[in-house]
Amino acid sequence: MSLVIDGLRKRFASVQALDGISFTVQPGEVYGFLGANGAGKTTTMRIVLSLMRADEGTVTWMGRPAHDWPRKTWGYMPEERGLYAKMPVLEQLVHFAALYGVPRPAAAAEAAEWLERFRIGDKAGARLETLSKGNQQKVQYIATILHGPDVLLMDEPFVGLDPVNVAMLKAAFLEMRDRGKTLLFSTHQLDQAEELCDSVAIIDRGRLVTAGPTREVRRSTGHQVVRVATASGNRAWLRAMTGVEILRDGADFAEIRVAAGLSPQRILEAAMANGPVLRFEVADPSLEQVFVERVGALADDERTLATAGARA
Amino acid sequence: MSGSDRMRGIANIRTIARREVTVRVRTRSYRLGTALLAIGVIGLALLPVIITKIEGVSSSKVAVVAPDATVAARATATITTLLNPSSSASSAAAPDFVISIASDLATARQDVVDGRLSGVLGIERAADGSLAFTYYSNDAASGRTSSLLRQGANAIAIADRLDRLAIPAAQQATLFLPAAYAVAWPDPARTDPVKDGAAAVGQDLLGFAMTILIFMIIVMYGNWVAMSVAEEKSSRVMEVVLNAATPFQLLAGKVFGVGSAALIQYGVVIVAGVAALAAMPIIAAKVLGGTAAAMSLPEGLTPGLLLLFGIYGILGFLLYATLYAAAGSLVSRQEDVQSAVMPMTLISMVGYIVGVYATTGLLDARSAWMSVLVQIPFLSPFMMLGRVAGGLAQPSDVVLSLVLLAAAIVVAIWVAARIYAVGVLLYGQRPGYRAVWKLLREGM
Repeated sequence: MSLVIDGLRKRFASVQALDGISFTVQPGEVYGFLGANGAGKTTTMRIVLSLMRADEGTVTWMGRPAHDWPRKTWGYMPEERGLYAKMPVLEQLVHFAALYGVPRPAAAAEAAEWLERFRIGDKAGARLETLSKGNQQKVQYIATILHGPDVLLMDEPFVGLDPVNVAMLKAAFLEMRDRGKTLLFSTHQLDQAEELCDSVAIIDRGRLVTAGPTREVRRSTGHQVVRVATASGNRAWLRAMTGVEILRDGADFAEIRVAAGLSPQRILEAAMANGPVLRFEVADPSLEQVFVERVGALADDERTLATAGARA
Repeated sequence: MSGSDRMRGIANIRTIARREVTVRVRTRSYRLGTALLAIGVIGLALLPVIITKIEGVSSSKVAVVAPDATVAARATATITTLLNPSSSASSAAAPDFVISIASDLATARQDVVDGRLSGVLGIERAADGSLAFTYYSNDAASGRTSSLLRQGANAIAIADRLDRLAIPAAQQATLFLPAAYAVAWPDPARTDPVKDGAAAVGQDLLGFAMTILIFMIIVMYGNWVAMSVAEEKSSRVMEVVLNAATPFQLLAGKVFGVGSAALIQYGVVIVAGVAALAAMPIIAAKVLGGTAAAMSLPEGLTPGLLLLFGIYGILGFLLYATLYAAAGSLVSRQEDVQSAVMPMTLISMVGYIVGVYATTGLLDARSAWMSVLVQIPFLSPFMMLGRVAGGLAQPSDVVLSLVLLAAAIVVAIWVAARIYAVGVLLYGQRPGYRAVWKLLREGM
């Protein structure tokens, strides 16, 4: 009883856009869909929404084919602005809700409430194009949820937002999760995914790299990460060790990828032998490190593209 | 499709159409266009009054200088009838020419030079008793007035000769009776009355005007549909809408919405035109003074023809608009719309040109191939009205063309919905005709 994406394949002319994508989103969880530009995120979402047909594979929600569910089950927020530039904000929110069968007065009341909450209540009568990009994105989000969908699919919702708006949108996401909605969003900003997502899937060039609960995905490499700082600041002892790779050689602390089989305790011991230790921390690799490592297994040119996208 | 799905579908079509109408009606270009069309139609409706007013102001004055009172009286009567044709002499409107009698030729000639008169017809009796005419005017020697005066001079001279031969006035009258003269069809099988010049021109003009109006409706409003589709696609709002509505609902909503906006615009224009026609007697009385002659609708503009105009306008729009929508769905940028709708524009242009040529007589409207062409659904909206106005179409021809047109609309909607369903999410390069054909056969 969940959103099951099973064996999706889709070919556009000479490009195999999806090559066997499978993952499962549990009801009520926030799911991150990670990949570089062109990895197949948008295509997967369009197939889940029945906007596009897969060559092979199925999508089911609660055991029934996704396209059999009423349209109001789904909320979709496309990557680029999917709104009428010249239409007043409130009027178009009501229009979109009406397309899902929400009565106009009810839609207008709830839309006004959301606009207030996002601190753009005074823009209700303004034409969309007069709003800033961040405010337009908020309107887009309201358009996505106004009809009360059970499953929200959002394509790169945080692109181009300033930190204040990112925080506002994150809070709204978590509120939807608390209301029992299922959220799937794509991103190449992996720190956002790490913070918000219960589970993630990483795809690359139409193929699934890994998928599962965020913690398990972070542990999936078998490596651990150690952050260490000593009073002397001298790291010659660290560079002399085998089985470690310095990921970050900062003035404040060093971040080290520890090879599988090497105990982090050995690093602590070596650090203490070189004087007082100010900081010592053992952690799982970040999603970004996992991503670079897993996707980096590809050919050089593809890695360049994937990591560039991941860091953008 | 279940009953509730159908209800949802109709509700969605209505919602989409509603947005299309409200947004379009609000635009400045729509309002300006409607106002300009209304002003144009009012001007057109009041054209007879305006023309009469202008001509009434500039009625020409011609003086006659004659050797004696009899000739003067005869000349005045003859020239007045000749220069002011038909019944206008009896109407309240000022006649084209006002004829007066002058006594002194030199003074009268000076009046022409000074612009108080447009001409002087000097009549002198030669030594042999015959009359000699000279027209003093700045007009061209071979102009219409001059040639009509030449006819008049002949008539006056003949009457004068008859006087001198002492033929009694009663006999003179019989001499001048017109001969029996008729015009008939060359084809013995044809029994319908031969059109008289004015009526034929009126019917041709009517057919011509209706063909132009239908062409404008189809191309202008069809372009609206294509632009609106391309706009939604370029802003990606399409994807949001398609999550809620099917491509068919979106297509139907667009066509009905733009169609409604078009109907509103036409409604305003028609109301303005009818109001202007209704107010014309009052306006004519005010402008022209006195009791103006009744001015009626153009001959041949029957309610039936107007109804047919509405039907062909609406069906033609539906046929073309669905295809314009499909074409609009194939492009990603609004700048590319014009090239995408080119096939429809070309076909409608062919229908328009053939239709106009047929109503104006440049093409033989009676030929067999023309009666075949007029049944082709893409052409009939441009061609049938001209034939009906000209009395060339049988009721069965009209019914057949309407049935074919309706069938073509069904096919066009099916084709357009399939192109649309695929085209709306196709971004990037515009697919070629071969790709479109492939999409049609295989679907998504």
